Amino acid sequence: MKYTFLFTILATLLSFLGHVSCQYRTKNTQASSLTERVQQLTEMAVKRPVLKFNGAKFKEFVKTTPRNYSVIVMFTAMAPQRQCQICRHANDEFTIVANSFRYSQSYSNKLFFAVVDFDEGSDVFQLMRLNTAPVYMHFPSKGKPKPADTMDIQRVGFAAEAIAKWISERTDIQIRVFRPPNYSGTVAVVMLLVLIGGFLYLRRNNLDFIYNKTIWGLGALFFTLTMISGQMWNHIRGPPFIHKSPNGNLAYIHGSSQGQFVLETYIVMVLNGAVVLGMILITEAAARKGDVKKRRIFAVIGLGIVAVFFSLLLSIFRNKAQGYPYSLLFK
Amino acid sequence: MIPNKASAPYTKKVLFPDKKPPSKQMKSSTLTNAAGLSSLITFTILLLAWISGFASRLFAVIRFESIIHEFDPWFNYRATAYMVQHGFYNFLNWFDERAWYPLGRIVGGTVYPGLMITSGTIHYILHSLNIPIHIRDICVFLAPIFSGLTAISTYLLTKELWSAGAGLFAACFIAIVPGYISRSVAGSYDNEGIAIFALQFTYYLWVKSVKTGSIFWASMTALSYFYMVSAWGGYVFIINLIPFHVFALLVMNRYSNRLFTSYTTFYILGLLLSMQIPFVGFQPIRTSEHMAAGGVFGLLIFVAALRYLRTVLTKSEMKYFGGVVAVTAAILLLILIALTYTGVVAPWSGRFYSLWDTGYAKIHIPIIASVSEHQPTTWFSFFFDLQILVTTFPVGLWYCIKHINDERVFVILYAISAVYFAGVMVRLMLTLTPVVCMLAGVAFSGLLELYLKEEDRENGDREGDGSEEESEEERERSPGRALYDKAGKLRRMKHERPKGSGDGLGANLRNGVVIGILMLLMMFTVHCTWVTSNAYSSPSIVLASYSNDGGKSILDDFREAYYWLAQNTPNDARVMSWWDYGYQIAGMANRTTLVDNNTWNNSHIALVGKAMSSNESAAYEIMTSLDVDYVLVIFGGMIGYSGDDVNKFLWMVRIAEGEHPHDIRESDYFTERGEFRVDSEGSPTLLNSLMYKLSYYRFGEVKIDYRSPSGYDRTRNAEIGNKNFQLTYLEEAYTTEHWLVRIYRVKKPDEFNRPRIPISERTITRRTNSYISKKTARRKKGFIKGRPTVVKGQKPQRRTKN
Repeated sequence: MKYTFLFTILATLLSFLGHVSCQYRTKNTQASSLTERVQQLTEMAVKRPVLKFNGAKFKEFVKTTPRNYSVIVMFTAMAPQRQCQICRHANDEFTIVANSFRYSQSYSNKLFFAVVDFDEGSDVFQLMRLNTAPVYMHFPSKGKPKPADTMDIQRVGFAAEAIAKWISERTDIQIRVFRPPNYSGTVAVVMLLVLIGGFLYLRRNNLDFIYNKTIWGLGALFFTLTMISGQMWNHIRGPPFIHKSPNGNLAYIHGSSQGQFVLETYIVMVLNGAVVLGMILITEAAARKGDVKKRRIFAVIGLGIVAVFFSLLLSIFRNKAQGYPYSLLFK
Repeated sequence: MIPNKASAPYTKKVLFPDKKPPSKQMKSSTLTNAAGLSSLITFTILLLAWISGFASRLFAVIRFESIIHEFDPWFNYRATAYMVQHGFYNFLNWFDERAWYPLGRIVGGTVYPGLMITSGTIHYILHSLNIPIHIRDICVFLAPIFSGLTAISTYLLTKELWSAGAGLFAACFIAIVPGYISRSVAGSYDNEGIAIFALQFTYYLWVKSVKTGSIFWASMTALSYFYMVSAWGGYVFIINLIPFHVFALLVMNRYSNRLFTSYTTFYILGLLLSMQIPFVGFQPIRTSEHMAAGGVFGLLIFVAALRYLRTVLTKSEMKYFGGVVAVTAAILLLILIALTYTGVVAPWSGRFYSLWDTGYAKIHIPIIASVSEHQPTTWFSFFFDLQILVTTFPVGLWYCIKHINDERVFVILYAISAVYFAGVMVRLMLTLTPVVCMLAGVAFSGLLELYLKEEDRENGDREGDGSEEESEEERERSPGRALYDKAGKLRRMKHERPKGSGDGLGANLRNGVVIGILMLLMMFTVHCTWVTSNAYSSPSIVLASYSNDGGKSILDDFREAYYWLAQNTPNDARVMSWWDYGYQIAGMANRTTLVDNNTWNNSHIALVGKAMSSNESAAYEIMTSLDVDYVLVIFGGMIGYSGDDVNKFLWMVRIAEGEHPHDIRESDYFTERGEFRVDSEGSPTLLNSLMYKLSYYRFGEVKIDYRSPSGYDRTRNAEIGNKNFQLTYLEEAYTTEHWLVRIYRVKKPDEFNRPRIPISERTITRRTNSYISKKTARRKKGFIKGRPTVVKGQKPQRRTKN
């Protein structure tokens, strides 16, 4: 007991020295023993859950054998000039997982999280033959990484839950992802309420605009058009904006009835809105009093809008539904 | 019944004395009387809507036969048949030991009995009139008949909200709109078929009671609500929408004593009545879904008290009345949240919660996410189900907002909430459809009202300015259009009607507009018929395939398999299958199932999923622990049927993984590159799973046509990867004609080739008397089998027999 305690102190001192003389340490990394390395890693992990590795450190802690710990490494390119938008999100999710592990019950020195940035450790990228970022890799405690030790971002995505699930598959360490509560939604709602409240207070002498039916009507129409053009589907499924085929053709409309693109829903929203506008124009042209010529023109325009835009909508629909036989004006 | 309802316009008409037709020549006859004519036309249109709605739902019956469709209807049919046979009280106490083996299911306490009671009552009445009709036929035709009642109640509701003409339009729309037909074709014997009628009728009575403020109408609302509660879980929509309406009216400072009377009566009666349904029980006072109604009840009483105090104490300004209401509502909401945290009130259940937090079900409840009707809705589905209506109902919404009154607030809230829910879940398109029909009816009737009216006036025919409300069917054959007047028209039109004859739009333009609109409506009817015929009229028990020359061949494999089960297995045999087929096995084969479409026990389903996704020996352990005798899988690779078990397999894995994360891992079933494939590159875990083996057993020997290799799966377009394997623990019992259903028998432990035990572990129990001769006393001597009998002087006979 006492011996181990002394040893701990000694190791701490050593690692402290190591920090001071980092330049020299890299020369004789091979010499550092397993216990020392674990010690260092644990120390660093206490300070920050995600370790930052450059090429030398990567070789020291990840490539050297023997190890009795696993390392999850994220290869990324965070520098602004690399223009990797996705890396930032990936980094956030990765940090969430690392933090959840750091403050969880199952925290141990069997698993470490590390990140290698392309601009600091490009030699590592060459060593691992990587040419994309971000990549998550698991370096098991025994043996070389297998193909399954690279997380398949294409399929499972890089949400923190997916990373945790993958880690538990590879290492049998269960991590319950604890997201720091996201206050941005609450803050936004509160801000909105404050704004509305303030606006109402400023206009307290003239609250008639609340009774303005046109505003309410437009709001309701907008909401309805949003829903019937499938924006909720977009929100849940997250489809691409438009589809770019490999030979450079752009597809605005999804070919099957099961899917849709974001731009497609906007087009449909506009078409629906135009039909609504046309119907209202026709009705108003007959309902209002006033200049007959103007009203006649309005009625004709309204009828034209309804016919043309409904035909357009029908033709898009016809393209998506196989074997639909009917069309109006346009094929 | 119908003439009474249809004659309502006449009584209504008296309320508008300014519209009374001037004296005219054909007053003498009752038939040519304008009021009589209008009610006759109303009656005719509603009848035609009923007939055409009924007829367009019969595609499946005409093409196939009069059978129950799909999955859930089979349970409803079985329960109805049980109730008819054993009586209502035995039905309420029914414990079904044939489902969820070994748990069983208390059916009486876990169903909405309204559907069974409805068809049971019809059956009883018909039989007491000596009309011997089978209960199955009642079940098959119940939904089409109720669609006519839905049309009538939609007419009544729209008439209360806007005008009789809009009501007729709405009735015609809802009779044929695919969004409603999808749940009410003949044979689709499900709760929704009668629930939409109950929904619309409750809303009609509610609007009526808000308008009149009479206790009678409010009590009728509560009774209708009671019927809705007994029929469908969607009653929660009513018990949230009506309080929402009341709340909105309070905030808009539209409080009235009529509102107070109708809501308090409705709430108290409705609460008590809804708690009489065993399946609902104490939920109305214990769960969050029902709390809004109680909160609004308290709020309404508070507001009423406040208003009373105002009249007594001071005459202070009523300006901040809405603010006071909102603050009180917020306080009530906080109390509710506190109660939920302390556990007095159950929080939102997963299904309801997933309506608000749209990503919730995908992460936490895979069994909800796995059902295709719980997916969000694309714009394509909206257009497919509603066509022209979906683009025109915002117009009706616009005019309702522009000309707002108490009951139009209701329809606006109805439209906005329903369109949101329909966007989140395809299934809830059903609740959106009625309001879309109503508002589109408002839009079309408002438009045609104007364009047909001026024509009449310019013709100098002053008396007949009310012909605008007819639906399109009527208009085609309406020579007497100008002969009558109809009620419920907007007064606005009358005030704003241009007085001079010079500012009309001109006959050509008006005719053009009318013809254009009629074209659109005609396209709508054609579209509805096409969609009904092509998309919603398949029973999914009997499949039809069409060859290139147009010939039709019927694939009746499902019933073949279920009939085989019923005839060739012991009465208490237990059949394991994925939960989709549980109700059908119970209904058609009458055998015990492990899981079924009532997905109340997730861990039991996960156990079956685990058995399906494990290898054969691990699955055998699970199957023996569950006493499984037969396993049934659906396999579409032979004929290219895409809804088979291999395509559903990933959901089995996912659900199993949710409960047994150590044994089943989804990623094991993918290739290295993350693909799900069944050919030789597929992952070995998949190729050795029970589901794979049961689906493809002996399939490797099959060569479908001479171009493709043997064992070519037509559904997934791949040659299967694991061809020549034998089953150790199961044996093939039956495979249907097109291999669509395959049934396997689970061997008893003494039947299969037991796995080799190492010699060191073998224990041989010898009896003390180590050798017992098996020979009986008679055969002790021993003999040569088939020994030729030799007779001297004859040739030995040729051994032909032995």
